[in-house]
Amino acid sequence: MIQVEMSAEVRNVFGKGPMRRLRAAGMTPAVVYGAPGSELQAIQLDTKEFFKNLLMIQRRNAVLSINIDGVVRNVLIQDVQADPVRDTLVHADFYEIDVDKPRTFTVPLNLVGTSKGEDKGGKREIAVMQVSLNGNPLDVPDMIDVDVTEMNIGDSIEFSALNIPDNLQMVSAPTTVCVAVVAP
Amino acid sequence: MLSPKKVKHRKVFTGKMRGVAHRGSTISFGEYALKAVEGGKLTAQQIEAARIAINRKIKRGGKVWIRVFPDKPVTKKPAETRMGKGKGSPESWVAPVKPGRIIYELTGVDEAMAIRALTLAGNKFPFATKVVTKRTSI
Repeated sequence: MIQVEMSAEVRNVFGKGPMRRLRAAGMTPAVVYGAPGSELQAIQLDTKEFFKNLLMIQRRNAVLSINIDGVVRNVLIQDVQADPVRDTLVHADFYEIDVDKPRTFTVPLNLVGTSKGEDKGGKREIAVMQVSLNGNPLDVPDMIDVDVTEMNIGDSIEFSALNIPDNLQMVSAPTTVCVAVVAP
Repeated sequence: MLSPKKVKHRKVFTGKMRGVAHRGSTISFGEYALKAVEGGKLTAQQIEAARIAINRKIKRGGKVWIRVFPDKPVTKKPAETRMGKGKGSPESWVAPVKPGRIIYELTGVDEAMAIRALTLAGNKFPFATKVVTKRTSI
């Protein structure tokens, strides 16, 4: 899984006006929370650095190690609010996790190559492009490559045929077909 | 031309468009997209004209997704008719578009070609648009 280190500061100001001034000063307001019992904390991040990291993550699974005034908290991105017109950051929610505790993640599939069936005139049909896996957050891959080059017309690939590390468990049904090559 | 197969009501209120689009404002399928910067109504003819412009530019090389559908009927009274005597008859179908809405998505072509094709499509619309890419949007 993608790992990113970031720094942040504790935020003591709240409300619409102060938040607008904060954004104008190049900071993004955010909040960190976690499982019941976990402490909720309002923080502020450098907008440029956070935006750069979000572009690198590209909506995939990532563990962010946020250094908040000397205290490091491992978090997942729960939600990012952005202005739909200007594409500027408005607010972010982070969910604190224990990196040694298994969790379920949705991992995207990446189809590699062109199948033999497509060269013969077949049509590739994509049914599902993501799979649910359970395991330690740092062991979960950010993407799973699926080689389709050997597929002929009539062939399909099920989740059970995916190349998944041994220390992970599949939550999705193994018989689910993710991609198939069908006759035109 | 795009239009609904069946509708519950033939005529609807004009309505108002306020705010920005929160739904349908991120790239979901393709690599490049055309985003509305201002609000307005897109007619089925404009959507079709823009789709043809994209396909002619990319020479059917990539894949295009249309993210809006004209499902709102617009009525019009006949010419030289006095006011009153009820609402006019349905004339066309439009898609209300709020600022921030993704209208087209495109993939399977290089970036320069995609930008050219989507810019041509944007020129068919009655409001300002911009081309966005998945690589540069969060």
